[in-house]
Amino acid sequence: MNDPKLQAGTLPVLRFALDRSVLIAFGCIVLMLLGGALYSREFLSPEYLLQQLQISAFLGIIASGAMMVILIGHIDLSIPWTVTLGAMMATAVAGWYGEIGSAIAIPVGVLCGAFVGFLNGLGVAYLRLPSMIFTLGMNAVVQGLMVLHTGGFAPQDHATDAMHFLAVGRPIFGVPNALFIWIIVGGFITYLLTRTAFGRRVYAVGNRETAAYLSGVNTNAVIILCFVLSGAAAAFAGVLLAGYSTKAYQAMGDPYLLPAIAAVVLGGTNILGGRGNYLGTIAGVVLITLLQSILAVMQMPEAGRQIIYGVVILVMLLGYGRGEIDRK
Amino acid sequence: MPDALPILEMKHVSKRYGGIAALNEVDFVAYPGEIHAILGENGAGKSTLIKIAAGVTDPSEGELYVEGKRVDFRNPTEAMAAGVVCVFQELSLLPDLTVADNLSIVAPPMRAGLIDAGAQRERARRLLAEIGCDDIHPLELVRNLPLSRRQMVEIAKALAKRPKLLILDEATSALTAADVERVYTIIRRLRSEGVSILYVSHRMHEIAALADCATVFRNGRRIETFRIGERSMSAIVQMMIGREMTHHYPDKPPANPGAPVALSARNLSWGQQLRDISLDVRKGEIVGLGGLDGQGQRSLLFALFGVLKGVSGSVDVLGKPLRLSGPRSAMRAQLPIALIPEDRKTEGLMLPMNIRDNISLASLSKFQKGLRFDRNSEHTAVEKIIKGLNIKITELAAAVSTLSGGNQQKVVLAKWLMTHPGIILLNDPTRGIDVGTKQEVYRLLRDLADSGVAVLFYSTDYAELIGCCDRVLVMYDGRVTRELAGLELNERNIIETALNVNDKEQAA
Repeated sequence: MNDPKLQAGTLPVLRFALDRSVLIAFGCIVLMLLGGALYSREFLSPEYLLQQLQISAFLGIIASGAMMVILIGHIDLSIPWTVTLGAMMATAVAGWYGEIGSAIAIPVGVLCGAFVGFLNGLGVAYLRLPSMIFTLGMNAVVQGLMVLHTGGFAPQDHATDAMHFLAVGRPIFGVPNALFIWIIVGGFITYLLTRTAFGRRVYAVGNRETAAYLSGVNTNAVIILCFVLSGAAAAFAGVLLAGYSTKAYQAMGDPYLLPAIAAVVLGGTNILGGRGNYLGTIAGVVLITLLQSILAVMQMPEAGRQIIYGVVILVMLLGYGRGEIDRK
Repeated sequence: MPDALPILEMKHVSKRYGGIAALNEVDFVAYPGEIHAILGENGAGKSTLIKIAAGVTDPSEGELYVEGKRVDFRNPTEAMAAGVVCVFQELSLLPDLTVADNLSIVAPPMRAGLIDAGAQRERARRLLAEIGCDDIHPLELVRNLPLSRRQMVEIAKALAKRPKLLILDEATSALTAADVERVYTIIRRLRSEGVSILYVSHRMHEIAALADCATVFRNGRRIETFRIGERSMSAIVQMMIGREMTHHYPDKPPANPGAPVALSARNLSWGQQLRDISLDVRKGEIVGLGGLDGQGQRSLLFALFGVLKGVSGSVDVLGKPLRLSGPRSAMRAQLPIALIPEDRKTEGLMLPMNIRDNISLASLSKFQKGLRFDRNSEHTAVEKIIKGLNIKITELAAAVSTLSGGNQQKVVLAKWLMTHPGIILLNDPTRGIDVGTKQEVYRLLRDLADSGVAVLFYSTDYAELIGCCDRVLVMYDGRVTRELAGLELNERNIIETALNVNDKEQAA
């Protein structure tokens, strides 16, 4: 601080600067692959790696939205049934309206998710209800609606060709389409966070909402938009998952809540908001996917797998959570 | 009564925070059966004295004696055990519990290992009757009581500890007239029972009516202790003044009554905090807000910025009505308004974020051009303002938390200057920053005013108000009680008005 001069060409700020948690996450990925390779050489084959990235893509898209909400210091617990909602509405619309239905299936699914996110945002921003409770309630409401929907209208539940193509197709050099979609979604989120005024406001709200408000930031709009992105991302992932497993079914989003939030936090995003970058989220997503895959390959009983999975996440959080939490 | 053994005696007590002495080698004695008023302006050391007596903080140096015995309080509980009980301004009651629960919160009457609710209720009834508040039901939730009654419960809670020394810190400021009378009665009764009472109040007439003796503090030192009646009001005010003028202030230009009125407020009221306030600030003028801390100055600035809900009255900018709907509408006024808030750590800055992000936060939309955020012009603008304000930084990417207090405050100023405001509201902007930066802030405010900006400036430092402002509005109890300008603008007048001692009272 003794040097008052500013260097003429001060380096532009790198939001992607590798912080400790991102390094740890990538380190763990490498360790896991090497450990897996000792068990079977298959773990290093391109085929296996591409397969893992394809599976990662679904979680990655969900985590992208979850990250936006976590960055503003809130949480979205309505992810599971928003995923299911996206899948079910997309397949249902395809069934109801034939040709046109198939064409608008994907946007309709995403819009339904965005609408749930919008309601979440309204509740958190204007009614000032804690997001933990509000989104949990919203999750239950959506679940109820979906049960009614499937029971009452017997809608079509199998995916359209387009959905199937986007989820499992590999037309370009054998690289899965899902991976490209994740790259597009990730690029979009990165662009929002680092190259727009909106991104700057997201970090500001997450750090200190009062100060952001007093600086003229429309904090309620920022909160709502983050929840909309989260809902839209979850529903879009639901659409792809329906394509991947060829049909939409009840509770298909349930296994994604913990992994999505864990991936974001393992990637170094502060659970209290205000800090984190997308590179970390990528690392977190790949890490979680690999962990699940390796545990599955090792043919361990389900109970043991769940225990190891949970313990590994907790241990990692302990490992680098300390410096991050004492801030507020 | 100086022959009796003092209840509390302090010898050479000092308290330092960092390099600054809040109390400096103070000797202080309180005798039984005496009401002892503690006087002094903001930051004179009154609250530090009380906190040390009540065991809330430790003295850096010096000794405490209670009834002749050396004591060393580690916490308020030990002080209470020794008979020193304090009623603080900040209420210590738990709003969701009943009055009876609150009164017996530390040691409730027990039966068979459980709280004896009946005995607890009976105890509450007795304690409330003692202070003349039989109308408060012991099973009422504290939340449902009006502020004045809560303060009475607070006093009942203190009395339940059977104090030998009772400290009342602004205890009557929240009370209704009827409750004030009750408190007077209680205090006089306690005096006749031999209790010693330390009474902190800014209401001079209360002190004249109630106290036996008074001690004046200034700059952390005890100036004088005297019997009430020995000194005139004007002599007491004189004792409270007397800080040396250590700063150099920019010259003031001659008043320009022809300049257009930039900001004008009419009949602003907000609950108990703002009462019917009207004021005008002209272009090129620095108007100060004075008075004791907490007389509504902070709320007034927030009200003008549109942050408070339910404000009545109107605010005009250049004669056009301003919608008081929030910062964004204030920032879009014909003369954009800026507010430099009081607490830079929670209201002014995002401490973990970097300097650039903090400075450009209020002007982000200027750099967002369609889908493209123009980072180059942002960078140029930020660098320019950092140079202009002489903010000492190593790199733009450093977190604001790494800067010194003075430089942090400059970052807040930079953020708002970047919005090119025509009206600047400042809430005690020089609190806790170094002397050098203070001078720079004074210079900056004068330069801004010379360029036509209207400045409304609240400060707890009277010398600063006198040195910087063209006019000062002194507030008391949510009202602007007096406007001082020209030769009238001196420390004596500010303190007299701040304490609400008017000339008539003085003459009497």
